[in-house]
Amino acid sequence: MRNPEDRHPFFDQIEKLFKNKTGLAGLIIITLFAMAAIFAPAISPHNPIENALYDQLKPPVWEEGGAAKNLLGTDDLGRDILSRLIYGARVSLTLGVVSVGLALTLGTLLGALAGYYKGWLDNLIMRFMDIILAFPHILLAIVIVAYLGPGLRNAMIAIGIINIPRFARIVRASVMDEFGKDYVTAAKAVGASDRRVIFNAILPNCLAPMIVQASLGFGAAILDAAGLSFLGLGAQPPIPEWGAMIAEGRAMILRAWWVMTFPGIAILLGVLGFNLLGDGLRDALDPRLRD
Amino acid sequence: MVENLLDIRNLKTYFNVRGAVLKAVDDVSLTIKAGQTLGLVGESACGKSVTAASIMGLIPMPPGRIAGGEIFFDGIDILKLPEFKMRKIRGKKISMIFQEPMTSLNPVFTVGDQVAEVIRLHEKLSRKEVRGRVIASFRLVGIPAPESRVNDYPHQMSGGMRQRVMIAMALACYPKLMIADEPTTALDVTIQAQILELMNKLKAETGASILFITHDLGVIAEMAQKVVVMYAGKVMEAADVNDLFGDPKHPYTIGLLSSIPVLGTGKKQKRLSTIAGVVPSLFRLPEGCLFNERCTVAQADCSRIEPPMRDLGNGHIVCCHRCN
Repeated sequence: MRNPEDRHPFFDQIEKLFKNKTGLAGLIIITLFAMAAIFAPAISPHNPIENALYDQLKPPVWEEGGAAKNLLGTDDLGRDILSRLIYGARVSLTLGVVSVGLALTLGTLLGALAGYYKGWLDNLIMRFMDIILAFPHILLAIVIVAYLGPGLRNAMIAIGIINIPRFARIVRASVMDEFGKDYVTAAKAVGASDRRVIFNAILPNCLAPMIVQASLGFGAAILDAAGLSFLGLGAQPPIPEWGAMIAEGRAMILRAWWVMTFPGIAILLGVLGFNLLGDGLRDALDPRLRD
Repeated sequence: MVENLLDIRNLKTYFNVRGAVLKAVDDVSLTIKAGQTLGLVGESACGKSVTAASIMGLIPMPPGRIAGGEIFFDGIDILKLPEFKMRKIRGKKISMIFQEPMTSLNPVFTVGDQVAEVIRLHEKLSRKEVRGRVIASFRLVGIPAPESRVNDYPHQMSGGMRQRVMIAMALACYPKLMIADEPTTALDVTIQAQILELMNKLKAETGASILFITHDLGVIAEMAQKVVVMYAGKVMEAADVNDLFGDPKHPYTIGLLSSIPVLGTGKKQKRLSTIAGVVPSLFRLPEGCLFNERCTVAQADCSRIEPPMRDLGNGHIVCCHRCN
């Protein structure tokens, strides 16, 4: 039952995450992507935005006509696909962090206020969330980007905004669920202010659904950003963004399948990795699920 | 120093529910002297816990409201204090021990952190000093190996240990008044005895007053110097513990006392006497005396006229037409 040595419970949670196979798989994928993002200049064989007019549309190394110089081939401007994918991890992870960070912060704040104070404030906040949800997701993002102007930064803001309701709803529901519990009354009874009760007592108990939602949101954000970039509203050329790469390769699908297939696989793996990691983290972080 | 640490005068706590006004606490007055334990007894839903929540300022408003009365704590009417001042009293001067040790601790923090939180809220101390205080308070309430136990999560502790943590939390800032809301109801009997013994010991050491809420008269006899019996939101009888058990006046108190089973007399036991009927719903309170429908000595006037509070001397107060 008790820890034999005086070690921080954090290590138990990490250990538990490592024992969980799906969580571990997600963690490995995400770690690989993160490593690629961090060490992009060191590991990518070519400059991702450098044109090589003599190497246009080279197939991957295992296809006929492929060369070891461009492992995953090149696009129509002769840019190395592998290098662009590696730099694309940077773009996608930054984008995920920023937009999920934005959505999580605002969504948590709004959801917690709505769930804790209830009444008219709850109605005001949640009806506003309903309005956001009433629009098709990507359409609203397009509207926001159209208003702010296309570009990666504005795409992140737009994706952040459209994801606020998913966090606000989950946090509101969890806060309401926790609100009636005795430890909340106990926290008030020792003289904690409303702010302390919400942020120091209730929200840590809502962490598990928030984490799951955040990692799912991470995947969704990458997907949305790819969608916006595909439509030409997100990352602008020559930024090596996965969605933009698919858009660029779209015209050549029959001649050069590799130009859009590999970015597609990268998006798939990235989204999958975050979803797997989210599930693993939920199991590991919740003390009520611990034995 | 005021004579009475806590002086509740004509407290009325009402709840608006479905268009009706529920008088959960109606005209309750009681006093606790410094260092005294007052037992507040009554059946479920008689307003014991609402009285406690009113003192702590934890009545959810709406639907609740304090419709009248004063609560003087250390000479100050705490009902008139603004919330930010009340926060400084909660946990510091008045603390509370809850009924359910299993759910009253926050499951995602270590017990040590939770006790430390109380100290940090009310006192400016360094991390190390806080930790020292936490360990000292754990030792005080008899938790073995406090240095390592502070790092436990609530789910790693038994019910009795958790209640000790709750008591440590309540004692952390040396309060003048502790409100114990049925602190032993959720525990088994041996642990219950240990906790009661601990509370008596700590009271003697710290000089704190205790408002002890329970429906268990046996516990009251062990803990309290003064007893207040509540019924349907009103005080029925208040007296010193010896007077109340030795010479109960109110038919309700008499009924309660005779409903306690007596063991080990050797003779064939009589059938255990009970009080007929049930506690009236707060939605439909009877006219006159609230207890008249279940009372064995009720007469005609009992169902018409509300009985006044009568002082029988020596602080023995009773609310009944039939007691003189």
